[in-house]
Amino acid sequence: MVRGWLFVSAAAVMAATTVFAQGPGRRMGAGPGDFALLHAEFGMSNKVVTGAPYSAQAVTQFTQTLPNGDHIQRTTTASVARDSSGRTRMDRSLSTVGALSAAAGARSRAIVIHDPVAGMSYALDPSSKTARSMPIPAARTSSGSPTANARSARFRASAKTEDLGTQVIQGLTVQGTRVTRVIPAGREGNEKDIDIVTETWYSPDLQVVVMSKTSDPRFGDSVYQLNSVSRAEPDPSLFTVPSDYSVTEGHPMGRGRRGGAAVPAQ
Amino acid sequence: MNENRELLEGLQALAALGPREAPLRVEERLKVEFRKRTRRRNLMTWLPTSSIAAAAAAVALFLWTHREKPKPAPAVVAAVSMSGVPAAEEDTIASFYPLPEAEALPALENAMVVRVQLPVSSLQLMGVPVGEERAGTSVQADLLLGQDGLARAVRLVQ
Repeated sequence: MVRGWLFVSAAAVMAATTVFAQGPGRRMGAGPGDFALLHAEFGMSNKVVTGAPYSAQAVTQFTQTLPNGDHIQRTTTASVARDSSGRTRMDRSLSTVGALSAAAGARSRAIVIHDPVAGMSYALDPSSKTARSMPIPAARTSSGSPTANARSARFRASAKTEDLGTQVIQGLTVQGTRVTRVIPAGREGNEKDIDIVTETWYSPDLQVVVMSKTSDPRFGDSVYQLNSVSRAEPDPSLFTVPSDYSVTEGHPMGRGRRGGAAVPAQ
Repeated sequence: MNENRELLEGLQALAALGPREAPLRVEERLKVEFRKRTRRRNLMTWLPTSSIAAAAAAVALFLWTHREKPKPAPAVVAAVSMSGVPAAEEDTIASFYPLPEAEALPALENAMVVRVQLPVSSLQLMGVPVGEERAGTSVQADLLLGQDGLARAVRLVQ
C-alpha cells in the first residue's frame, strides 16, 4: 500500500518534469537578404485632411557611415496622393527599409489605400492582382497609454526645440523646426554626448511634412523630401481597388491571418 | 425482583471495596499495544495525503512553468511620435515594439504596415533584443513604416 502511493507520487513528479523540460524551438531556415516583403497589411493616417488634395514623389535617402569612413547609401521612393475627401494612397518601393535590404528576387512594391470615406483600408498586390481590405476602426478620444505618455514626456524633457522660421520648398511655404536630443555621456555606454537632430519642414497649407532630416550617430542619417508636388485633384481611380483585383477581407488591425472569402472588386 | 435486589447488593458491596487497578504487567502490555495501533493508524492517514500533495505539487509546477509567458512591454507610441492617431489605431500600434532609431524620426502622418520574413539577425540589427539561441532562424514580422519608408516599430507575427 505504502509502496504503491510512493510510486504514484514519484511518477507524477517525473512526468511533469519531463514535459516542461521540452522547449518550443522550431527552427526555420534563414533566407538571403535582410528581409523579404510578403505583403502589405494595411495603411493608416494620423488624421483626415479634406480640401487639400495633392500628389507627389517621396524620396528618402538613408546614409550610414562606417567606422572606416566609408558610406552606405540607400534610397527609397514612393508615390503619394491625397484627394479632396481625405483619401490617401501610398505606392512604395521597398527595396530597402532603413539599413535593411530586401532579398534578391523578392517582391518589393507595397500599395495601401486609406479611405476614411468608406471606412476601409486596402493593401494592393499588383503581382497577384489581389487586395486585402480592412475596416478602419472608429476613432475615439484617447490621451494615449500611460506607458506611451511617460516615454513621450521623457523624450520631450530631453529634447530642445528650435524654430527655424519659414522657407519655400517645392512651391510650398513651410515652417521649420529643429529638435535636438542629447544622450548624455555614459547613459548608453557612450564616452561623449550623442546629439540626435531632427529637422522638419511642415506645410500648414497641405498639412504634410515636405522635408525632414534626421541625424542619429547611432544609426545613420536620413533625408526625406516630397518632390514634384502637384496640388491638382488626383485621379479618383487611385483610391479604389481596380476592378480586375480580387479582394480578400482581412481582420481589422489584427495580426493578419490571411484568410477570409475573396470577393470581386467593386 | 429478587434478582434485581441481589445485583444491587452485589454492586454496593463491590463499591464498598474501593478503587481497584489492573496489575502493572497488564497495564504495560496495554500501553505498548496502544502505541503500536496509534502509529499504524497515523501512517495510513498521512500516506495518501502526502501522495496527493506531491501529485498536486507536480501539477502546480507544470502549470507554473507552462503559464502564459509575459508579453514584451507594450509599444512606446510616444517614441514613435503618434500623437493625434485615432485611439483604435493607436491600440494597434501599441502591439508593436518601438525601434530605437525611430525615436528621433519625424511624427507619423501616413503609415503602412507590411509583413516581411526576416532573419532574426536583422531584428538584432534593428535594435530589437533577441536571444542568441534564435540567431540563424527567421521569423515573420510586421513593420510599421512611416511616410518616409523608415521603420518605426516591429511586431512579431510568429
